[in-house]
Amino acid sequence: MSEIILSVEHVTKKFPVSGGRFLTACDDISFNVRKGETVAVVGESGCGKTTLLKAIMNMQKPTSGKIIFHGEDITQLTGEAKRQNYRRIQMVFQDPTAAFNPKMKIRDIVCEPLLNFDLISTSDVDSKARELLTQVDLPADFVDRYPNNMSGGQRQRVAIARALALEPEIIACDEATSALDVSVQDTIIKLLVKLQREKGITYIFICHDMALVSLFSHRVAVMYLGNMMEKLDGDKLDAARHPYTRALLKAVFSTDQEKNQYIGILPGDIPSPLNIPSGCPFQNRCEYCQERCQKEKPSFVEVEPNHFVACHYPL
Amino acid sequence: MLLDVKNLAVSYGKNPKPTIAGVSFDLNDGEILAIVGESGSGKTTVIRAILNVLPGGGRVSEGSMVFDGKNLLELDAAGWRNLRGKNISMIFQDSGNMMNPVHTIGKQFVEYIQVHSDLDKKSARAMAIEKLELMNLPNPENILNSYTFELSGGMRQRVGIAMAITFQPKLLLADEPTSALDVTTQAQIVGELMFITRGSGAAMIIVTHNIGVASYLADNLMVMSGGRVVEYGKTDDVINRPQADYTKTLLASVPEIGGRRYV
Repeated sequence: MSEIILSVEHVTKKFPVSGGRFLTACDDISFNVRKGETVAVVGESGCGKTTLLKAIMNMQKPTSGKIIFHGEDITQLTGEAKRQNYRRIQMVFQDPTAAFNPKMKIRDIVCEPLLNFDLISTSDVDSKARELLTQVDLPADFVDRYPNNMSGGQRQRVAIARALALEPEIIACDEATSALDVSVQDTIIKLLVKLQREKGITYIFICHDMALVSLFSHRVAVMYLGNMMEKLDGDKLDAARHPYTRALLKAVFSTDQEKNQYIGILPGDIPSPLNIPSGCPFQNRCEYCQERCQKEKPSFVEVEPNHFVACHYPL
Repeated sequence: MLLDVKNLAVSYGKNPKPTIAGVSFDLNDGEILAIVGESGSGKTTVIRAILNVLPGGGRVSEGSMVFDGKNLLELDAAGWRNLRGKNISMIFQDSGNMMNPVHTIGKQFVEYIQVHSDLDKKSARAMAIEKLELMNLPNPENILNSYTFELSGGMRQRVGIAMAITFQPKLLLADEPTSALDVTTQAQIVGELMFITRGSGAAMIIVTHNIGVASYLADNLMVMSGGRVVEYGKTDDVINRPQADYTKTLLASVPEIGGRRYV
C-alpha cells in the first residue's frame, strides 16, 4: 500500500445559527488518503460531505481538528503559505457552466492558475493551453472557444484541464459528473482513471451515487448527518456491514431486472442537523435499532482490516 | 386503447426542421411507458406535446394523437380545460417549483380542486387531506398550512403526486419525477408511483434519464436520441436484447454495483 498523503484528524465543523444554537455539519471525522488512490465520500444531501471537502481545500476553517498534508496542519496556514498550498490541491466542481467566466476564452481559463503563480509567461499561454487540452482528449483548437460553445462533457474536460495545470497532488471532485448524461459520465470517469495512472494523482471524489463510486474508487467512506458511518474498500461494497450503507446499496435501481427485485426502501427522512438525536444518528430510520443505539453513540471501529464501521450491531 | 400517438412531429417557430419527428407509440389502460434518453433528445417535448403545453411557439406539425377516442389536435380551450388536470395530469421534476411560493399549499390545492369540481371549500379541503394521506404524508393538516419551501424535496414531490392523482386521471405524465431527489428518497417515490398506478389502474408515461428506474417501473421502453425514436418495445426486450447500437452503448455506460471496475 502506498504512503499516506493526507490525513484528516478529528475534524469537526459547527456553524452558528439563530438562537445561540449550532448546526453540526461534520462531527469528529477522521480518515487517511493514500497517494494515487481514489477516496469516494458518499452520502445524501445535508450529510456534510461538501463541508468536509471545503475544509480539505482550506476554504473553510474547521471548528476543531487537524488536516495533515506533507507533515503540516494546513488549517493553520495563513497568508502566502496558504496560497502556495492551493497549488497542491485543486478542485473540479459539479456544474462546469457555473465554474467558468463566460467571457474568457478556454485558453485563458486553463492557464489562469499558471499565471497566478508566475509559472509561465504570457507568450507561452497558447502552447501550454493546447498541451493541457490534449491531455484531456479535447482538440487543441478549442483554445479559441468560449465555454458556452461547448457541450457539458467538453466543459467538464476543460475544468479537469484547469485543475491539472498546476500539476497538483490531489484533485478534489465535488459531484463532478452529476450534471452529465450517463454516457458522458462514463467517458469522464475513464479520463480521470487514465490521468491517475499516468500521473499518480490522488482523487477525493464526492458523490451520492453508490453505483458510480463502485466503478473506480479504491476506498469508499459513507457519511450520514455529519458522521462517518462506514469506510471500506471500493471493490468490497458487498461486504458492507452498516445498515445505512446497505440501505444505500439497496436503493440503486439497476437495468438488471433480477437485481431490482431486491430494491429496499428506507423509510422516513433525514432528521434536521439542528437536533441530531443523542446516540446513533441513524437510529430513527434503522430497522435494527435497539435500546443501546438510542443512548450511546457508536464509535468508529475497525471490524476487519481496513474496514471501519460505526455501529453497535454491525450486520 | 387509451392513447394512440402516430408519427408525431413538433416544430418550433420558423425552423423548417422538426425538433422531434416520427414518434409513434400506444398505451393501454394501466400501462407504464418510460421514455429514456440523454439531455436534448426530445423526450420532454413528447409529453409536453401530448398536453399541448409546448413552450414558445412550439406546435405539432405532423401526425395524430388520440386520447380515449378524442382527437387531441382538434380540442378547443374548453376541451383542454376539461382534460388537463382531470383526465391527464402531470408530475414535474420539482413539484415545489410548480406551486406559488407565497401562498400556502392548502390554498393552491383547494383552488385546484374547486376549478375542476363544484365542491365547496370545506369538502375540497377534506379531499386534499385524503389524497395527502394516500401518499403516506404524516400530518396532512400541517402540510396544507405550510409553504413549499418549508417541506423537504421528497415531501414536495409527494404533494405534487397527491395533486396529480386527485381526480383519478386515466393518464399520468411524469417528467423526471425523481431526478432532483436523493437515492433513498428516489426509491421511496418510485415505490409510491408504482403503488399508485398499479392500484388505481392509471396509465403513466415517465420521462427519465435513469435507465434503472425506467426498467424497474415500465412495461414498455422507448429510447430517444436527437429527436428520433431509436428503439421501442417491451422493457425486457429493450434491456436484455437491444437492437440499436445507440441503445447498446447507452446500456453499457450505466454503472452497476458489482459490475465493471476501472481500477
